[in-house]
Amino acid sequence: MVLVDIRETPSAKAADIFLQIRPGKDFEVLTILRALIKGQAVEAEAVRPTGLTLEQLQDLAQRLKKARFGVLFFGMGLSMTRGKHMNSAAALTLAAELNAFTKFVAMPMRGHGNVTGADVVLRYTTAYPFGVSLSRGYPRFNPGEFSTVDLLVRGDTDATLVVGADPGATMPQPAIEHLRRTPTIVLDPKVTHTSRLAKVHITTAATGISAPGTVYRMDEIPLPLRPILHSPYPTDEHVIRSIRQTIQNRGGGFLPTPDHLQIA
Amino acid sequence: MPDRYLLIPIRSNKQGVQVNVGKEGAEYQTLVTTLTMHAQDMQQAGLVAGQRVRLRTRFGEAVFICQEGNVPRGLLLVPYGPPTCRLMGGDTDGTGMPTSKGWEVELEKIEETVSSHPPESPGG
Repeated sequence: MVLVDIRETPSAKAADIFLQIRPGKDFEVLTILRALIKGQAVEAEAVRPTGLTLEQLQDLAQRLKKARFGVLFFGMGLSMTRGKHMNSAAALTLAAELNAFTKFVAMPMRGHGNVTGADVVLRYTTAYPFGVSLSRGYPRFNPGEFSTVDLLVRGDTDATLVVGADPGATMPQPAIEHLRRTPTIVLDPKVTHTSRLAKVHITTAATGISAPGTVYRMDEIPLPLRPILHSPYPTDEHVIRSIRQTIQNRGGGFLPTPDHLQIA
Repeated sequence: MPDRYLLIPIRSNKQGVQVNVGKEGAEYQTLVTTLTMHAQDMQQAGLVAGQRVRLRTRFGEAVFICQEGNVPRGLLLVPYGPPTCRLMGGDTDGTGMPTSKGWEVELEKIEETVSSHPPESPGG
């Protein structure tokens, strides 16, 4: 196992080789590796700013090509730093190109919570993993336009429903301020930072503990969960269905039907 | 004169546990306000463990408590949370993801020492 990071994390103890690169040099390392696996010439001087040597990257390129079945795990150190999607694209392209030599896959490492589940369900219902707008009655995908942070920071939304998340403790302050200014409704088993700035907090049963649900493993394998404890609180699903029913009863605006999204 | 560093908000196992336990407790508050930095950087900035510092970006500022740790020189690590939110800008460069790691920050020592708390080893 080869670990590449800007610092010696606890995972370094489990690694056979640890390569410590300079912050913000992920894209350069990935691009140099792509050149090396294709046998292209790389000058040692071009490698120096990454914090590694040409010999280290040549050795890594050979190991990647010689693997019988390799996997490239990449985390938020790539997707949340400068370069963002370009870093992720470089990692995915490297894994794709390694398939000219051996079998290689890439898999994103996810953060806390059921992030993979949210991506998978949105994908099989709308064809897109995030940043989806249903405002025209059919799914449209455009990160930067329909993604949550952008909507909040621009102040596009006039109300927000937060289910099982805590943007008040994770998002940029301008997004948090918009949540505070506008009506925000939180569904969560716990009182969160978002609850504190919301107009309404509805306590719900904890999914997977006192409500049934499905958690997705990082490799997208679904794990159905049965409740083991009784909760006096309703499930998220029950609350959302009740809100939806109330809107329909009052002759509210457009609501997507199961036909639109193929949800049972 | 404030010193400049690169701040990396991180995730740690202890923080992940606290997210499920609840964020109202003292342990969560301690985790998300504890800043880990290289011993020589601390010495150079005239800091001791348990000392409060103010970090400032062009978007905001927040106060943290310092501790030494296995961190490369010039980097500051802190589990992400409400204090790091105050330092984060809202621009996503059209990707949907704000730059959440690798911010250039100014570090300013606050002339007051509080009692130190058990160090949290930086996680992933």
